[in-house]
Amino acid sequence: MIDYLVTVLTEGSIFAIMALGLNIVWGWSGDFDIAFYGYVALGAYMTLVLTVGPATDPTTYILGLTLPFPLAVALAVVSAMVLALIVGAIALRHLRGIYFSIVTLGAVYVLYVVTGQFVPLFNGYNGVSGLFDPMGDVLGLDYSSYSFFYLGLCIAVLIIVLLLTTRLNGSRFGLALRSLREDERAAAAFGRDIYVTKLKAYVLGAGLGGLGGALYAGYLTAFNPSAWSPVETIILYAAILVGGRGSTRGVVLGVAVMVMGLQEATRYLPEIANQPSFAPALRLIITGVVLVLFIRFRPQGILPERRFRDKDPAGKGDAAAVEPVVTGPKLDTGAA
Amino acid sequence: MHEALLTLGFGLVAAAILSLSALAFTLEYSVTNVANLSHGEILTVGAYCAYLVQQHGGGVILSGLAAAAGGGLLALAVHNGVVDRFVRRGIGGLPTFIATLGVSLVIQNVLVIIFGASNLGYAVPQGAPRTVGPFLWTDTEIQIMVSTVVITALLYVIIVHTRFGKSLRAVSQNRSLARVSGINANRVAALTWLLAGLIGGYAGFILAESVGTFSPYSGFSFFLITLTAAVAGGLGRAVGTLVGGVIVGIALEFFGGYVSASYNLAFAFAILSLVILVRPRGLFVGGRRSVFE
Repeated sequence: MIDYLVTVLTEGSIFAIMALGLNIVWGWSGDFDIAFYGYVALGAYMTLVLTVGPATDPTTYILGLTLPFPLAVALAVVSAMVLALIVGAIALRHLRGIYFSIVTLGAVYVLYVVTGQFVPLFNGYNGVSGLFDPMGDVLGLDYSSYSFFYLGLCIAVLIIVLLLTTRLNGSRFGLALRSLREDERAAAAFGRDIYVTKLKAYVLGAGLGGLGGALYAGYLTAFNPSAWSPVETIILYAAILVGGRGSTRGVVLGVAVMVMGLQEATRYLPEIANQPSFAPALRLIITGVVLVLFIRFRPQGILPERRFRDKDPAGKGDAAAVEPVVTGPKLDTGAA
Repeated sequence: MHEALLTLGFGLVAAAILSLSALAFTLEYSVTNVANLSHGEILTVGAYCAYLVQQHGGGVILSGLAAAAGGGLLALAVHNGVVDRFVRRGIGGLPTFIATLGVSLVIQNVLVIIFGASNLGYAVPQGAPRTVGPFLWTDTEIQIMVSTVVITALLYVIIVHTRFGKSLRAVSQNRSLARVSGINANRVAALTWLLAGLIGGYAGFILAESVGTFSPYSGFSFFLITLTAAVAGGLGRAVGTLVGGVIVGIALEFFGGYVSASYNLAFAFAILSLVILVRPRGLFVGGRRSVFE
């Protein structure tokens, strides 16, 4: 029972880290980025090839180093951010709305096809494996206590990410992002560099995605193209939408409901006529239905983003009182 | 030279399937301004309908009709059940786009539960390859291309010469103006989606015929290429889309024949990204570029 709880919580914290990263891109910056799971995957792959050592005969992959786990995670995050910088620099330059989404969809499919087909990179469809209990031997942990350690590590990272995003939320950068989301022209008129601000958010979000991916690799011990598909991103979107787009607490709640809750609710479903794909398929069906219903009936989610109030309503310096500029997210930002 | 002509021949077959799928997608887009991410599932459902009919002893014609009917019903259901409700409530293009991704997920996984996730074989007697001018085509491939030409011609007549086609063009240009001019825009949109679904379902059938296998995911992968053709031709523009489909279909076949077929999808997206970045309104329209697109 306790082992089971540890598993659920570890997965939940990892997905929460990813969702918080995606929330920066979609929740605050307002870009529907379908490439996001590509950064998660790259983070996972890089962590593996940086820690598991050289490839042995039938397998081939790049690097094959034996770096300590924390260093590998850091490098994995950096590589996810570099990829995001390239994709974002191209896609965010002129494109918004569905055109942006279509290009990011393209980017992630290219990555998916290349990781699957180009064997020398990450060993093709067989993927990379062999990362057992990272840091376990250094800390002298045995098998039973290790899962507790890894849960603690994931929760600690999640707390750091939460603190970071909460701080960013009220910062000038966070406010600038949301002003872009609400009205790009107005924000530009107030002197925001739209492109650079959006690109920063995009890269930062991808970095958190890479971090989530790196921790996921340590948890799964292996990664291959059947472990991820570009559609995976939609589960994160469903979590954000249900919890409350743009709201940090909301995103954590959304992951608890849509990732952990749904997973557990369908775990013990009687398998219908030895069909192993029944429970995952049903989960995806529920995810799709929930997504459609929330967009239609409650786009702000269960815990909506807090409306920001003008901290200086009397306008000590200025003559007129200013209405709050930043409101809760409208779903329709930058639509085509 | 001979080899290039052969590749061109296969490219024309691919282009025929792609053009039909892209035409259907662009029809859906034209009347609702929604890029339907569940378009691929119309093809998939068409393929499954054709498969079921074939399993019960139906011939090629019956299978094709069943595919069209299945696709049409699905498109109508998606329009009336989801897209139309969103459009009427003024929920914008992007959120509706996201919702159709949800719809796509639902349909794919319903098919997984019913038919399983693995590939199903769709075996049709292809007939012996025969030489047509410089090309080498089987009977099935000839059937695919002839039917595509017929369907496209029919569609042209419907759009240009019928009353319904006139309303369709009016709704696609300006929905509110069409409505105040006495056109029942919702009905026109629903009928257009039905028409698109008929074409899309049939495209799924000829796709399955030409590839030989299909799975709940094959429509979605093919949709990714469809998107390239439709965007290259200019979203919502029928003639441009047709040309886009032919160009992309042939280009992919050449890429597959001379470079590597496994990277086809990646190559398609390279074209797509390039088109969107350089000429976001499509290859054949005045290329004014806007940030707020």
